[in-house]
Amino acid sequence: MRTRVVFVITLVMALALLTGCGGSAFECEDEWGCAEIKSGQTVKVAYIGPTTGDYSSFGIDMSRGAELAVAYHPDVKGFPVELVIEDTQGSPEQGAAVANKLAADPRVVAIDGHTFSGSTEVAIPIYEDAKIVMMSPSATTPELTDLGSPVFNRVAFTDRQQGDAAAAYIYENLGIRKIALMHDGGAYGQGLAEMTGEFFEALGGTVVGKEAITPGETDYSAPLAAIAASEPELIYFGGYDADSAVLASQMGGAGLENAIFFGCDGTYGSQFLDLAGEAAEGAYSTFVPIPESGAFTKFREDYKSKYGDEQGELSPFSPHAHDALAVLLNALDQVAIESGDNLYIPRKALADAVRNTKDFEALTGTITCSDTGECAAASILFMIAQDGKWVPGPGQ
Amino acid sequence: MDRSEAQSRPKRYIDFGRWIRLGIGVIVVGFLLFRLWNVLWIERAYGLDTWTRFAVSGIILGSVYAVVALGYTLVYGILFMINFAHGDVMMLGAFAGYFTLEALKSIGFLNRSVGTSVLSVIIAFSVGMLFSMLIAVLLERIAYRPLRTAPRLVPLISAIGSSLFLQNMAQLAFGAERHTYANPDMIQRNSGWMVMIQGKEVLITYTGVLTLVISFLLMVGLFLLVQKTKMGKAMRAVAQDKETAALMGIDVDQVISNTFAISGLLAGAAGVMWGLHMGILYHYVGFIPGMKAFTAAVLGGIGNIPGAMLGGLTLGILEAVGPAILGIPFQLKDVLAFSILVLVLIFRPTGILGEVLSKERA
Amino acid sequence: MKRTSLESGLLIGCLSLFFIVLGVTSLTGSLVQDWFKLSSPILGGWLLLFLMTFWGGTLAFKKSPSKSWSETLRTGLSVGLVAGIMLALTIWGLGTLNAQAVPIREWLVQLTPAAIAMLTMGRAPVVAALLMFVVMLLAGIGGAAWAYAALHYQWRSVLNTRWLSARESVINMSLVQKYQQHQYSKQIAYGVGALVLLTAPLYLGRYWNYTLGTVGLYVILGLGLNVVVGMAGLLDLGYVAFFAIGSYTMALLTAPQPHDIVMSFWLALPIGVLLAACAGVLLGIPVLRMRGDYLAIVTLGFGEIIRILSKSDVLTDFSGGPRGVRAVGGPMLFGLNLNNEFYFMYFIILGIIIVAYATHQLQRSRVGRAWMAIREDEDVAEAMGINTLKYKLLAFAMGSGFAGFSGALFASRNKFTGPEDFTLLVSINVLSLVIIGGMGSIPGVIVGALVLKGLPEMLRQLDDYRMLAFGGLLVIMMILRPEGLIPSSRRKMELHDDESEALVPDVLVEGGEV
Repeated sequence: MRTRVVFVITLVMALALLTGCGGSAFECEDEWGCAEIKSGQTVKVAYIGPTTGDYSSFGIDMSRGAELAVAYHPDVKGFPVELVIEDTQGSPEQGAAVANKLAADPRVVAIDGHTFSGSTEVAIPIYEDAKIVMMSPSATTPELTDLGSPVFNRVAFTDRQQGDAAAAYIYENLGIRKIALMHDGGAYGQGLAEMTGEFFEALGGTVVGKEAITPGETDYSAPLAAIAASEPELIYFGGYDADSAVLASQMGGAGLENAIFFGCDGTYGSQFLDLAGEAAEGAYSTFVPIPESGAFTKFREDYKSKYGDEQGELSPFSPHAHDALAVLLNALDQVAIESGDNLYIPRKALADAVRNTKDFEALTGTITCSDTGECAAASILFMIAQDGKWVPGPGQ
Repeated sequence: MDRSEAQSRPKRYIDFGRWIRLGIGVIVVGFLLFRLWNVLWIERAYGLDTWTRFAVSGIILGSVYAVVALGYTLVYGILFMINFAHGDVMMLGAFAGYFTLEALKSIGFLNRSVGTSVLSVIIAFSVGMLFSMLIAVLLERIAYRPLRTAPRLVPLISAIGSSLFLQNMAQLAFGAERHTYANPDMIQRNSGWMVMIQGKEVLITYTGVLTLVISFLLMVGLFLLVQKTKMGKAMRAVAQDKETAALMGIDVDQVISNTFAISGLLAGAAGVMWGLHMGILYHYVGFIPGMKAFTAAVLGGIGNIPGAMLGGLTLGILEAVGPAILGIPFQLKDVLAFSILVLVLIFRPTGILGEVLSKERA
Repeated sequence: MKRTSLESGLLIGCLSLFFIVLGVTSLTGSLVQDWFKLSSPILGGWLLLFLMTFWGGTLAFKKSPSKSWSETLRTGLSVGLVAGIMLALTIWGLGTLNAQAVPIREWLVQLTPAAIAMLTMGRAPVVAALLMFVVMLLAGIGGAAWAYAALHYQWRSVLNTRWLSARESVINMSLVQKYQQHQYSKQIAYGVGALVLLTAPLYLGRYWNYTLGTVGLYVILGLGLNVVVGMAGLLDLGYVAFFAIGSYTMALLTAPQPHDIVMSFWLALPIGVLLAACAGVLLGIPVLRMRGDYLAIVTLGFGEIIRILSKSDVLTDFSGGPRGVRAVGGPMLFGLNLNNEFYFMYFIILGIIIVAYATHQLQRSRVGRAWMAIREDEDVAEAMGINTLKYKLLAFAMGSGFAGFSGALFASRNKFTGPEDFTLLVSINVLSLVIIGGMGSIPGVIVGALVLKGLPEMLRQLDDYRMLAFGGLLVIMMILRPEGLIPSSRRKMELHDDESEALVPDVLVEGGEV
């Protein structure tokens, strides 16, 4: 019995020695190790988001942005880039499953995602463990960068920034002093509404009412009537477009004819205008304007010719998904090491290179990352619905 | 298998349950009265105009619940089974009405004149009702009829399966996004009569009044149908005792099929009313309102037609006013509705007006 | 033309249209395209329609078996004719509308231009419609002919006898015989099974450990619900509430936020189980007196109440609100951090074994027989002296406790828990796997979980159709096979009640003692 154990141990050790010594001449000096891409293999990057389910329009649109980013940057030092698209259905549980799947693949080096904050939050420790760098195009919960993860970065502006800007715009540009806060009870909506309220009160305004609604319903006349009793000049709503549309269209009947509906970036898009119809007129939303540039015009044209839809129809975030991946690919170009026939990607160096991104020209603007991983380039613009279209609001 | 709770339960020496129930009841009622007094006289957060708005919103919502509840009540009264898919039948009826109105709009018929507008609404109601009727009858034929003699759990699970199936079918066919109902111009949402209350305008919408009137008419019609016609008599006979009814020469299968047809008609009407008044439609508008409507049916006394109406209105008003009285956010109104269901089932399982359609359970 | 064959044709035609509208044809097309690396999805889609009508042909034949070839041909022809006309008209209509750039997909989202192009093979609508008509005619005739041939030439029975004799010869092989007669044959089988289970996490890798871990958690949930639904016959539609309670207990007790009670995993786990069981009892006391279907709806309401409360503004400070609880603690053992999906796989396997063993023993004990009596007929059970409320409460508490256990593991493994993990869909999933696997059957639940939770993980493309399939399966199972895929022997007897008399004395004797 004992001899057999000894034999097995020797065998294993011999094998380990063989692979260790005889394998490659390249020695990886990176703290986190290197990803090895053999000749003929691809460098894998992934976009992760809800490509099916209730939020599929976001996931599909953003995966197209990522696909275009790879089309513009098809290889790293001659090794083709392969885009893996994984579906989370927007749920944290699926997000963790997908993250584990990618973390198990040694050739996956960078993640464009995740798309929603909940899914991202679950995924960060998994990627941290697997030393895979990520760049989220749209996870906006402020606390995500507070976790201090070396692998997490984002090109999205945070809810804190949006709340701050919205409060200032409402107080200063619109000259409004009394607002009511509403949200859909989701992590995103609640956080946003509360932050806006805090900033608004800090400016000297008053929050006269607060109400949370059940998302997905078609009748909000009772909560609106409750809000109407406190006579706000404006209702700030944190939540998504469908609920925004129901609220905006029922405000008139609930005694809020003269109050303004002020939505967030979840409100922006054609869906709100279609659903609310005439009631949408005068409603506000948040938008991240993409500065006009040659690159963006080309992006829009390519999007249209490749997928048949207008860019921006499904969601406004395809440029963000593109930029997130573009930053990652750019960093990959900087750190990848060719040795023999193989390509090696030092993982720590990659994460550092992403974090040190400076003055990178992208669609949403010039991207520079802070040392906590905030890389948002874009400014925030508040839009108003006029004649069935979103146009920039007054005073900006 | 089932029986009314109180009668067949063996007598215990001391009925603790009864005292506990009484205690809980006193606490709940006392707390409600305290909150009501507090809200009305101490906090005074809402004026009379706001209370009116709550009431209007609640009554309209409640009258839709009532019509859906009528369908539950009918089926439960006869088969002693919760037709879980009833809410989804309503949703499909609403979609049928939606497509009809869209089609009429696209050929320019909807707003040509007052007459065509009225006709359009009538056509939408007819199509919605007929389509729901078709679905309900098919549902009974495919998913329930083969299971009539099976253990009770079996048709119940089949009903849940049907509900899931219909819901996801609608999502796949019509998409997950919301659709807006095309109302004729004369009954646009948010248009209606202004009523002055304490110097403030309160809007009573045309669609709301229409909903209320139609649901009342449907209830009266159904009541007459069940009480006065031969078909109603057969339904009541089947509700009381299927075997004996069959012996008396009643075609039980046909009567059950008729019952589902009527419940489908009602669900279709409720669906179109829902669409016209609420305006926004998607595949999930059937399930939770369906559950609420069932709550309403239990509240009023299952199997009891005026009871369903009363239960629906009560539930609707409680949902609109309840969070305000209790001082909780409106996101908790579903919690309120389901708590009411639990409380009713504990204290008065026979509902407010009692169970009527069949006095004795099979 | 027989009426039955026309009916079959109509049925198949309607089903095919239904499939087209729901996008099943497009899905099959793209799946076949992926699997066989084809250049277009046309073949798959048309194949599906062909097979449907083919099946229709066999169906019509079975309804009224024909005696001669010519009669069979007529049967098949009429099926193909009806289905063909319906499909051809549809394709012609869709193709024409599409050619005129009518936005059909605004109304029926699955009918995208690509899907219509697949149906028309990219040709003119009239040509495609005619082609479809011919293909459907052939399919109908083929189906009927196949059924005729199968009936008259007895291929199937030939195949069947071959298969049986092959099985026979394997069984008669000396090695197999020796093994079966061996004293420890059962132990050897268990040993091999245990070895496979124990080593599985070692070579599964990260992704499979995680995915199968999720399946395992659902097995525990399923075994718990099996006690409630399968054994005691209480339909619980809000089972997710207890899962949530276990999960939140673990999270709130071990996470630094929002309460800063950083308790050990080993302490939090039993607390979670106990709290969930207590919640089960507390809900059960008022609710279990109700009629079976009221119970279903009240528990459904309870599940929603727990979810809505956990995310509500009122409880944000207590439960973390919609953002949930992060940094949930994991198990430590002898200073070793066991907090990853690899070790959790072992916990989960251990949990399944414990729960399965416990329920298995319970099922065969007096308690189990009392549950069965209650499920069969509550009045009779009570008349026999069984304290029905007590036993129903026990079933409820046990089921809830198992759910709490699963929930606690779930929160700890994900290091995160939030209200969106506890939707009604979880309850429906668990209920489906219990029912489809086989109510009251422990192996059934395990197989059910593997099929219903594991399979969709592998076939992500089918995800949109998952709930539709669950719904349809529930109905079909109830009609055709209410005892489930792998039924428990008793349940099978009950539902096919010709042989069930033997059970009654058993219940009477056992029940009488309670």
